[in-house]
Amino acid sequence: MSSKDVGIIGYGSSVYEKKATRTEMGYLAEAARVALASAGVKKGEIDGLVVSSTTLQPDNAVTLAEYFGLSIAWASMSTAGGAGAPVNVLDAVHAVASGRASQVLCLAGAAQDGAFFRDRITRFNSSIADYLAPHGSGGTNGLFGIVQRKHMEKYGTTRRQLGRIAVDQRANAQMNEAALLRGAMTIDDYLNAIMIADPLRLFDCVMPCSGAEAIVVGPLDRAPAGKGVRILSGRERHNHPVGEVSPLRGGWELFRDGLFNEAGFGPNDMQLVQAYDDYPIMVAIQLEDLGFCAKGEIGSFLDRNRLTFDGDLPLNTGGGQLSCGQTGGGGGMIGITEAVRQLRGEGGARQVKNATRGLVSGYGMVAYGHGLSASALVMERVS
Amino acid sequence: MTANRHTGKSAVRETETNSPMLEAWRGQGVLMLQRCEACGEAIFYPRSVCPKCWGDRLAWFRASGKGSIVSFSRVHRGLAPKFEAEAPIVLAEIRLDEGALMIARVVTGDPAAVASGDVVELVSPDAAKRFDLPTFTPSRRKIFS
Repeated sequence: MSSKDVGIIGYGSSVYEKKATRTEMGYLAEAARVALASAGVKKGEIDGLVVSSTTLQPDNAVTLAEYFGLSIAWASMSTAGGAGAPVNVLDAVHAVASGRASQVLCLAGAAQDGAFFRDRITRFNSSIADYLAPHGSGGTNGLFGIVQRKHMEKYGTTRRQLGRIAVDQRANAQMNEAALLRGAMTIDDYLNAIMIADPLRLFDCVMPCSGAEAIVVGPLDRAPAGKGVRILSGRERHNHPVGEVSPLRGGWELFRDGLFNEAGFGPNDMQLVQAYDDYPIMVAIQLEDLGFCAKGEIGSFLDRNRLTFDGDLPLNTGGGQLSCGQTGGGGGMIGITEAVRQLRGEGGARQVKNATRGLVSGYGMVAYGHGLSASALVMERVS
Repeated sequence: MTANRHTGKSAVRETETNSPMLEAWRGQGVLMLQRCEACGEAIFYPRSVCPKCWGDRLAWFRASGKGSIVSFSRVHRGLAPKFEAEAPIVLAEIRLDEGALMIARVVTGDPAAVASGDVVELVSPDAAKRFDLPTFTPSRRKIFS
């Protein structure tokens, strides 16, 4: 089967909660049930399972199959943190196209709150555990404060410019009943929020929470009529640039041309972008690296473009992680489910008009100074 | 992660790879780096292989302990309990004079005065005992710059 005949045939999200009311498996199961229903696929038809989670250990994709009572022909688990889910979906397409599986369930999520996250991040990987966490500076906010200050000092980017990302995403979240943070936010609210890690203030920092996302990948002719979403291209890159600790760029800049060339479309052909938003500065860097503006010019780009679902470049149209919360590895999938929701025309009050094509960008596996992993998918509604 | 609540010992996981650095910091308040004997690369954090050329003959040497701030953040919230009273603390990307990049604390009584480009040096050996990893302070050299 050609990979052009395979795609996303279902999607689902669990409830999001500030405090976990169930285990991670509980959230994954809820998202999975919703996704299967949206695909019109029965549990017994699932024979591939792939999971992106930084909190599932000591469990994994295979023990998850045991827990869920699934017999599977293909199993995989991401190592790319918040960049993992786009890679998982791409791998799932290839697994189905090559005949290793017929319908793959892709899962990502966490059962956590802020206190759980603050503890877990100290052991996220060896370089954090051994050479960053002992400084006692807490979590990752300081690392991204370093990155943002560098961008501001090198390119003249201002907090007011970056604020558009948080403010416009909050406006999107107000159209999303599932978002945890829906209160109105003005640019002055953003600029004057409590200081966290100067230059980062409260609304620059994603809130860890509990929840899960799910995608079903299978033959596009299995999708409900008009509901299939094709992956036109996908890429990943890890540890670029080599040897820098607080870079202002990432792997997206290396694969951008290949990604868009293979898709046959460019940045201006996307009706929506879902970019990994642990911090607005990282959204800014992704937009630069993916070619929406030149490196260093995100400030004026943000001056010129509204990012709301009905704006110039609809970005993180459900509110993104900054307004919905970050469900661990699920933060890498929330952009995929939201893109699919939009491309299926199921965006409700926040539906992007004429949503035909979208870009999803992933970022993750923060280690000694920054996230090592970048990924992206270009997807298109099957008409 | 701060000193272990139960043992009072450093929470830094000591391994065969990093113990020369940790022992030198604890004992003398100095910074030891590795240098690849094949390509000359100065390496931080400690490894068993040179990330540039994959050479496995890495020699420890005492670094100058001096460098300059590339960028930094003043971290106000979420600090380890033992450092909460010092908020905000300065976390900086530092380019060591030897060329390697580090992320480390810059301890100062005046965090608001810290700027990118500032020259920094290791804290005094006495002060070093408070910190699990090599930690810096604005350099006295700055006065003459």
